[in-house]
Amino acid sequence: MVNVKKLLRDIVEKYPSSAVVMMELPTESYFDVNIATVKFLIDREFEGIYISFHRPFKNILSLFEQHRIDTNKLFFIDTATALSKGTGEENPRCIYISKSVDIDELIGAIYITLPKLKGRGRFIFIDSITTIAIYKPLSESMRFSEFLIRIVRKNEVENVIFNVARDLVQKKFIRDIALRVDKVISVAE
Amino acid sequence: MIDAKKLENELNNIPDGWIVLLETSVENVLEVSLVVMKFMSNNNYTGIVLSASRPYQNLIKLYKQNGIDTEKIFIIDCVSESYGGNLEESNNVQYIESVSALTSISISIDKVIGLIRGGKFLFIDSITTMLIHNEPGVFVRFIHSVMTRLRTREITGIIVSLSETDREIRAEIMQLCDRIINYKP
Repeated sequence: MVNVKKLLRDIVEKYPSSAVVMMELPTESYFDVNIATVKFLIDREFEGIYISFHRPFKNILSLFEQHRIDTNKLFFIDTATALSKGTGEENPRCIYISKSVDIDELIGAIYITLPKLKGRGRFIFIDSITTIAIYKPLSESMRFSEFLIRIVRKNEVENVIFNVARDLVQKKFIRDIALRVDKVISVAE
Repeated sequence: MIDAKKLENELNNIPDGWIVLLETSVENVLEVSLVVMKFMSNNNYTGIVLSASRPYQNLIKLYKQNGIDTEKIFIIDCVSESYGGNLEESNNVQYIESVSALTSISISIDKVIGLIRGGKFLFIDSITTMLIHNEPGVFVRFIHSVMTRLRTREITGIIVSLSETDREIRAEIMQLCDRIINYKP
């Protein structure tokens, strides 16, 4: 995973104050790269919000702990549990989005969590922007991504990272988002 | 003829609760499925088979022929009813009206998971067949929902996909998995 670290180091050096980054990931190693990215940021004393569309909070927490990621520097917004019509165990580090998966609720959860971040840099990490588009109209997915880009521009948070599987980058709304971010980085297989 | 040992080695170190996408070719899919079922049941897991390709009676016959303990198998048969097949009553089968009845399938998976004590896994055979009968977006939502519920309960999932599955759908599903096994003999 040397490639990921190098790519992220270059971004941090090139955009020291803030950046919106889209990462195109190899589909086969998607979650491994997610882990490497979060670990890189946490090891550099960032604190962040991990917005999960893919996996329930409990599962992510256990995997991050296995990879020795300091989860005390992370807050989670779990959308996956709601998308599967499930319920999660309460935890002060996690906000569960309700079953309607409303974008305004998601934005509200981000605003509740942002003041809790105390690191030298703050980030918001979205594990998969394409998954939300499976459940919500494209206009809502776009509204959410526009909100995320806007809060970086307004200095409410320093970094936003969107992850997209390489085989899905040709989707039109992903290309639209790609035009607005500071950097698209492609992670090799 | 597939190399069973090679495949078993891939399956050997999968932690409980992981979701595995097993890609193979149409020529090998049956043999691959049988190796998986035998390996998992030999390791004391009860298999919940979501079958979109073969009816219950045919699967049970194949499992017996291949020395697989059918006491450790529960089949959710999405084929027999829609093709007017014989719906043999048994305590290890549930019949679903069709492969496109995703809500019924989802309810049935939850129910069967609740019935089985001890280690269990869900085996989906195959997403390629299910995709023929379902609108892709709806199907991806279904798979995402099933996977998340498996993860919450720490139940292993093994999903078979043929190599020629649509690239975008494959990517949507693949990014949800913990491991991809691309089996080529």
